[in-house]
Formats: sequence, structure tokens, C-alpha cells
Amino acid sequence: MTAAMDFDQYRAPLGGFDEAFDHSGQPRPNWSVVVHAVGSLEPAVLHERQRDADRLLDAEGAGHLVHELAFDRGTDRHGVSASARVESRPWRLDPLPFVLDAAEFAVLSNAAVQRMRLLEALLVDSAGERQLVRDGVLPAALLYSLPSFRAHTAGFAPPRWLVHYSLDVVRNASGTWRVVSDLTDAPSGLGYSLLNRVVLARLLPDGLRAAGAAPIAPHADRLRRALTAAAPADRPSPRAVVLSSGPSHPTYVEHSYLAGRLGYHLVEGADLVMREGRLWLRALDGLEPVDVVYRRLEDALLDPLEHGHEGGGSGVPGLVWGARSGHVALANAYGSGLAEASELHPFLGGAAERLLGDRLQLEQLAPGEPLATSPVFTGRGPSALEPRSIVLRLQVVHGPDGHSVMLGGAGRVLTPGDAPEQPTALLAKDVWVVGTTAPRPVAVMAPPQVDFGPSVPKRAADALYWLGRAAERAEVAVRAARVVGVQLDQDPLLASLGDGGWALGAGALLAAARNEPMASTPELPLNVRLTGSLQATVLVAAQQLASLVQEASSVREYLSKTTGRVLGRLAAAHSLLIDDEGPTDELDSVLVDLAALAGLAMESTVRGPAWRFLDLGRRIERALAVLGSVEGGLGADVPPMALQPLADVVLAANESLVAYRRRYRSDVDLDAVLDLLLRDDSNPRGLAFQLDRLREHVAALAWSQGVDLVHLASSAAIAEIDDAVVSGRRVSLDGYVLSVRGPLLQLADAIAQHWFADPVNPTMMGGH
Amino acid sequence: MRSFRVEHRTEYLYGTAMADGFTVARLLPRDTPLQVVRSARIDVSPIPDEWEESLDPFGNRVVHFAVHHPHYSLTVVSHVEVGLETGVLPDGDEPWQRVASQAVASRGDTAADVAPFLAHTLQTPALSALHELTGDVFTEGRGVVGAVQHLCNRIFNEFQFDQSFSDVSTPLHSVLAERRGVCQDFAHVSCAALRSVGLPARYVSGYIETVPQPGEPKLVGVDASHAWCSVWTGPFGWLDFDPTNNQLPPLRHVTVGWGRDYDDVAPVRGVVIGPPSWQSLTVSVDVAEVY
Repeated sequence: MTAAMDFDQYRAPLGGFDEAFDHSGQPRPNWSVVVHAVGSLEPAVLHERQRDADRLLDAEGAGHLVHELAFDRGTDRHGVSASARVESRPWRLDPLPFVLDAAEFAVLSNAAVQRMRLLEALLVDSAGERQLVRDGVLPAALLYSLPSFRAHTAGFAPPRWLVHYSLDVVRNASGTWRVVSDLTDAPSGLGYSLLNRVVLARLLPDGLRAAGAAPIAPHADRLRRALTAAAPADRPSPRAVVLSSGPSHPTYVEHSYLAGRLGYHLVEGADLVMREGRLWLRALDGLEPVDVVYRRLEDALLDPLEHGHEGGGSGVPGLVWGARSGHVALANAYGSGLAEASELHPFLGGAAERLLGDRLQLEQLAPGEPLATSPVFTGRGPSALEPRSIVLRLQVVHGPDGHSVMLGGAGRVLTPGDAPEQPTALLAKDVWVVGTTAPRPVAVMAPPQVDFGPSVPKRAADALYWLGRAAERAEVAVRAARVVGVQLDQDPLLASLGDGGWALGAGALLAAARNEPMASTPELPLNVRLTGSLQATVLVAAQQLASLVQEASSVREYLSKTTGRVLGRLAAAHSLLIDDEGPTDELDSVLVDLAALAGLAMESTVRGPAWRFLDLGRRIERALAVLGSVEGGLGADVPPMALQPLADVVLAANESLVAYRRRYRSDVDLDAVLDLLLRDDSNPRGLAFQLDRLREHVAALAWSQGVDLVHLASSAAIAEIDDAVVSGRRVSLDGYVLSVRGPLLQLADAIAQHWFADPVNPTMMGGH
Repeated sequence: MRSFRVEHRTEYLYGTAMADGFTVARLLPRDTPLQVVRSARIDVSPIPDEWEESLDPFGNRVVHFAVHHPHYSLTVVSHVEVGLETGVLPDGDEPWQRVASQAVASRGDTAADVAPFLAHTLQTPALSALHELTGDVFTEGRGVVGAVQHLCNRIFNEFQFDQSFSDVSTPLHSVLAERRGVCQDFAHVSCAALRSVGLPARYVSGYIETVPQPGEPKLVGVDASHAWCSVWTGPFGWLDFDPTNNQLPPLRHVTVGWGRDYDDVAPVRGVVIGPPSWQSLTVSVDVAEVY
């Protein structure tokens, strides 16, 4: 049996301050419970828990999967070049928390509140009286040269500049806390803290309970109340959104997580438009008013009218002007980024005395100052623990009840050589505050919100629709590759069966699964052609998986938590398929995950317009896939000996082989095959079934153009197919496919035009 | 007092209909110690759905307007009439170092109104190359007016006016390295140079007369917005000079507004929302004396 963790072997640097152990090597009182809880585990168990943590983080915050894909999105689904390479920002959670006792945390907490009050007052002064400048406390030359100082905010008087504030602190080697930096523009870390706690609570439930760590979840509710209270005064039932710049933003994971946690729509600039002084969300049913924007993007990206080329044209034109006029509230206010400028640090002491009549409670960390350490699980060394320095991020919200500090936070582990201001932060710690005696806050009901159930931003519906299509297209490609591959493995002679008739059909089926015409390369031997075609099909499947994960990550709040887990597996499968063209068992497990995804969409998604667009995408793609497989696999007139195995392939590719055998218990009969695939409305893989679902969706959307097109497709789908053959093709089958596919492709176009098409990205007008 | 009339026309054409258009215009001039605004208005086509006028932090007049219906073009025309007093040189001078210390040590309204123009900005950065311009100009004990006259003269002589070289986004270091540019660049060079020696300097946006006086050469920078610089001289207040035309004080210059740099006072800034398409821009400025 392996030994448990040996904390006695842990050595903090001599002469420094260690969070967990005093100079004699004894655990500090507030750490003893954690040391006991973790110390009784074997390192191998702790490793396993850390891997669990990875999986849980994937599931909870699937947004960062898209970062792990790290692929070039050469052209997006609209054919627009979008070559932005997504930055990879994975992080791991240390299974060992960072523990602070309540008395010490209160000191930090008071200091954080003081600092938030100071920075609020500084922002008020900078846009108003400029008393600090007039009195010579803050040099005007410095203030007006800071890139984050928005000179045009002069005269801005938002009810509140800072609704949400974060403070990074670190303990030095003599045990004193120091300030590292402030975050006032779009402070990040709250979502990460909440995520980390959810995960650690699953890993160390007993430790968390025994230590009596204060809960941090109520802080998200305080943020929601603060955002509601920030709304313009005349809005009885204000509506807030979380504004992100999309999955390419480095902290997109928490944008998505916070939106879900707060119950707000996660929107991007193009989802919003300013008109008549109000801010509006472009929803499926038209424009819906928005009162509060919890912005997760930097203020230079908020409004191209203010920043022009600096912000790259992103954002919502006119938003800053709307906020200035008081018709929409920004949290934090436009211009708040000024307060986090490190150039202000030397003047903050004077500013505190002038504006608050108070001395700063915490001093700034001096460059090169030695830092305290804390044990971090690395699995290396005699104790499996190593001493590292930790930067703590505290979260403060100012709402209707004043300031409140989250009783916990996120610790970022400094890699040796890291500057405390910019940790590489590959490893995070959950921060536990123990020994709090304060009663648990009484939950106050927030004022009623609008019912968001039926409201879906156009961009979200768009993404869900393409998510459905990508999922289905991936499945079609994987299944086709798998079926053809397995048949060939079992019977290599198939390649030459029926004068190559089987290979011809199988190749055409694969090409249809890739959504491309069968290339004729007669100079290559048939088996070589098929092998290349199989590999190409697997690659198409991998591309579709990547699109699927990317679309899913921008609509995370519409998908269940379990869906996050499945997406994590599919993202991993994407890499496997790219690396090695998919042995059968990998393809099998992808099929299982795709089935899980489809099941979750049916069983764990609220039936509303959002779900309808997801399912519309699936049904259209599947209907097209059935037609493609029939056209490719069965369109050519092949000798009877090739027809039987080819029909098997087409049935299997549509997952209908078992159903066929149970129903007909006979050799393959072409009419029976076509009947099962095209006209049997009880076969959930068949064309008729898809058309029925499409009919329901367009009817529920009360969309007459859609109703007409589905009707056209359905009428064509009941036509008879005879077996006339011209030039080796079953002409009646070809005609049938064309007449059904036409209206379906028109329907796909019409969906994009009618439901999603909108003027989107703002364009800068040329300068003088 | 002489009178001038200005018509400034900005016209955008789009390849397809734009759904929304947002514009910020700094085209309405302000009064100055030497300038009285007699009339000023902006005509916009199509007629905007929103319109709001205000003052910016430097006291300039700003108009925000927005069009929220489909439009293929946007035309913004300002009509302005001002009366101008002829500027004169101060009847004294003040050592430039004393002016610089006054600016830094200023308190109260001076600190709030003058000291901001000490700040280097993205368009007027503190570059070491500026020292080549200022080194033998701002010498020990020299008067600020005399030194600025020298600086204005140097920029006029050493820099070549070249419309093909720069646009609004050409960085200052390229202008300094190549010794060429247009009036906006020379105004930025002046501001950055003055601030680098600790003197407050404003970037001024406006126009100069387009029709040459009989017997006088046509001035450079006509038919478009013009820009020059204003330096704070302590007891004599702000003093404008035009390095593009080597004039101190400027003689036929209509001031629209001022700020730290071009970005603070860009005449027209706009954003449209609509399908991707081409756009074209035409600008024309007409300035004439009214008798």
C-alpha cells in the first residue's frame, strides 16, 4: 500500500512565511482541518482527483473547450474569412485549497472596500470637479496621457462607476499583505472562483464541510441585485445582459458561466443596437429593450464611435452616448478602466487622504519584494507538495445594500519567474475563509425579471441551428466511414465486386457524406480510391466536430451541464481523428457521444424557440443526408450481386439495417429499402420522419414561407420510384432526390435569410 | 474685423443600403478671443432620426446624430460665418523655462484648463527624436515666443508638405523620420515638441481661406480641414501658430475647436451597420472672405 501524503516532508523556504505551516513545521490552526483531510489521501488519489477536477471544469465551463481546440477557423459558416486563432487558456485546479481565517480575511476585506471607495471617488473626481488635479495631488499631465483615461467622460455622472471591483493581493515573506493590482474595467475572476468552488466541493466534500468554509455562491446573487439596482430609475422590471466579444475573448469561459449563473442572455456586440436613445436586443421576435449591460469586455471595445480603429470596429455604436444620457446602464461605467492604471499607484495615498480623509490600509507591493509561500500539490518531491507563491483575487460588489466582499476568491499560483501582476496562472487555488461567525445572509428576492423563456437572440438561434447541422453532418460522416471501413475489413474482395459496382456506390456514399460530388479518378485502383475517400471522410467528420464545439460554446447557456461533458469528449475526439484517421473503435465512441448529445437535446433542453432551431438544423441535415446516401449508394444500376451488400451499407449508414432485417427478414429488395428510408414515417432515421418534424417546427414558428417549402418537399417525397435505367443511372431515383432536395435547400437558405439575416458588424466610415 | 464664410461638405456613398448610421461631428466653431461665430449650422441628408448637441470637455461644440432607416449615402454640410480680429504678437516675452515651471506647478483652474495640454498622447508621443527639433531652439533663458517662432520656422523649412505620404493613422515617428507629412502631422509634431520641453500645447482644428489675396500665393492646406498648434505662454495666454504656412500668429484661420490631438477633435467620425459593401468618401471645403 502506498503511503499517505507526508506533510512532514514539505519544506517551506527558510526565513519566509508559509501559509500552512509555522516556523516549527506545525500546521497553522486554520489549516489543520485541510491538512488532515488532504494528508490522509495517497498522492495517487490526489492525482486522480486533480484529473476529476479537469473533467469537471470541462463540463462546467465548456466554453474553454473551444480554446483547447486551437484550430484556425479559416472561413466561418457564412463564408467570411475569420482567421483569428483562438488562444488556448486551460487552467488546472489545485486539489489543495488556500485557507484564511475570518479575522485575517476581515482585514483584507476592509482594505478592499476602502480601495473600491477610493477608486470610485477618483473616477467621480476625474470626470467632475477634478479636485485632485486642481490641488496638485494628481498631475494633469499624467492623467491626460493615460490611454485608459477617457477625456470625453468629462461631465459623465453615472449613478455608480464601479458595480463590480476586484483586487489582487499577495502576502510578502514577512507575513504582511500587499496590493498587486486593481481591476476596475471588466474585472474577471468571479466566474472562475464560482467554478473552482463547485469543482472543489465535489473533490473534497468532507474537507469543505469539516473546515466550515464560508459559501461564495451568494455573491453571484448580490451581483445580480447590484446589476438590477444599476438600471435607469424609470425601469420597473429591468433587463440585464452579459456582453462579451465572443469565444475568442481570453476569459470567455467565465462570460458564459456567469451568464448562466445570473440567468442573463450572453450577447455579443452585433446582438445589440442603439435606437432612439435606448438599447435593444435583436431577438427572433424583433427588438427587445435592454436596461443594464454587464460588460465583460474592455471599454476600448465597447463603442466604435468612441474608439474607432483602436477597438477594431467591434462593439455597439452609440452605446457610450446612450449610457451618458442615462438611458442604459453600463456596469462598470464607461471610463472605469482608468482606476486600474498602475501609473496612479504613487498618487493613491494622497488621493485617499484628499478624497476619503483616510490612510490607505494596504501598501503596494514593491518590485522584487520576497513573497510568502503556500503548499501546492505537484506530485513531485518527498511530500508531493512544493512551496509556491499565490496571488489572491478578491471580489467586491456594490449594490443596494452597499459593499459586499465575497468570502473567498481565486488564488493564482505563481510559476517561478512570474511577475505577480501577470501570473501565467496555469494552476488555480480555491480560497476558503474559515471561522466566519456571521449569520448566513438572508436571501432577498430580487425584483421580478422579464420572462426570458421565449426570447432568443438571433445570433444564439443562428448558432444553435448550425450546431444542429454540424452535429448531424459529423454523425453522417463518421457513420459512413465506419460502415464502409468495417465492410471492407471483413471482406476486402468487395472492392472489386460486380466489376467495381460496389466500390463505385460506396465511394459515392462517402462523397455524399462529405457533402461533395464523387470525383472520378479512374486512373487509381478502386481500393486506393476508397482508402483515400475514407480518410477524407474522417477528416470532414473532425472538421464538423470542431464547428459543433465552437457553435456550442457560444450558446452554452442553452445547453445542459451534462452536455458540457459530452462536448469535452467530442473536443478530445476531434484531436484524435485529426491525428490518426480513426480506427473503428474511436469512430464508435464518437458515435456514442453524438448519440448522447442528440439525446440530451431531446431530453434535457427546454422546448422553446431555441430548441426548435437546434432541431431544425438537425432535421434538415439528416433529410439531406438520407437523400445523399440513397442517391450515391443506390443511384447507379449495379449488378445484383453488388446490390445486396451495397444496400446493406446504405441501410447501415442510415442506422436502419437492424430495422430492415426485423421487418422484412429477407434478402434485400430495392423497393423495400427505399420504402423504409424514404417513406416510412415511423423510422426515425428516414426522410418522412424528418419532414414530419420540420412541418411541426415551421408550423410552431408560424412561418408561412417555411410551411410552403416543407409542403413542397413532402409532396415530392411521396412520389413513386420506378426502376428505369438510363446510362447506368436509376433515373427515377435521381429525379426523386432532386425534387425533394430542391425545396429542402431552399428551406435552409430561407431560414438563414428570414430568421438570422441582419445587418451585423459595424463598419467604420473612412476618416479624413 | 473681417468676415469669413465656410462650407464644409462630407459625403459618404455606400454600395448597398445601410440600416443604421451613427455620426459624431465636430464642425460647429466656437468663439475665441479673436473669433466671433455669427452663424453656424449643419445640414444632413438623409434627415437624421436622432440629433443631440453638446459641449465636449475642451469646450468644443459636438453634434451626435443617427439615421435608423435604410440609406445609401450620408451627406453632412456645415455652413459657418465668423468674424475674425487680426492676431498680434505679444508685446513682451517670458523665459520658456519659467512658463514650463508655472504650468507644472499650477493649481486650481490653471491646473484644470492648461496642464492637461502637457500630456503626451498616442498621437503626440514623447519621442527622443523630438530633441533634434527642440535642442537648439529651447536654449537657456530664451523667451517662449521667440523660441516658438524658431520652432515654427524649423518645421516649415525642414518638413516637406506631401499629401501622398500620410493619412490620419500615420504615426509621429514616421513623420519625424521622413520629414514629410500634412498639416495634421505638423500640428502633432509641434504639440509633441512643445510638450517634450514642458510647455502646454493644443492641437487646433479649423480652416484657412482658400482664395488667395491679390498678389499673395495660395496657402497650403486649402480645400480641406486645416490644423495648427497653440502654445501656452504664461502671462500672455495661448498663442496660435501655423507651422504648415510658417505663420505666427495665423492671419486667415477659422478655428473650429481644439484638443490634445486629432482624435480629440476629428471633424466627422462615423459608424454604419449594414451588409459588407464598399464605401467612398468625398470631402470639400470652401472658405471665402465676405465683404
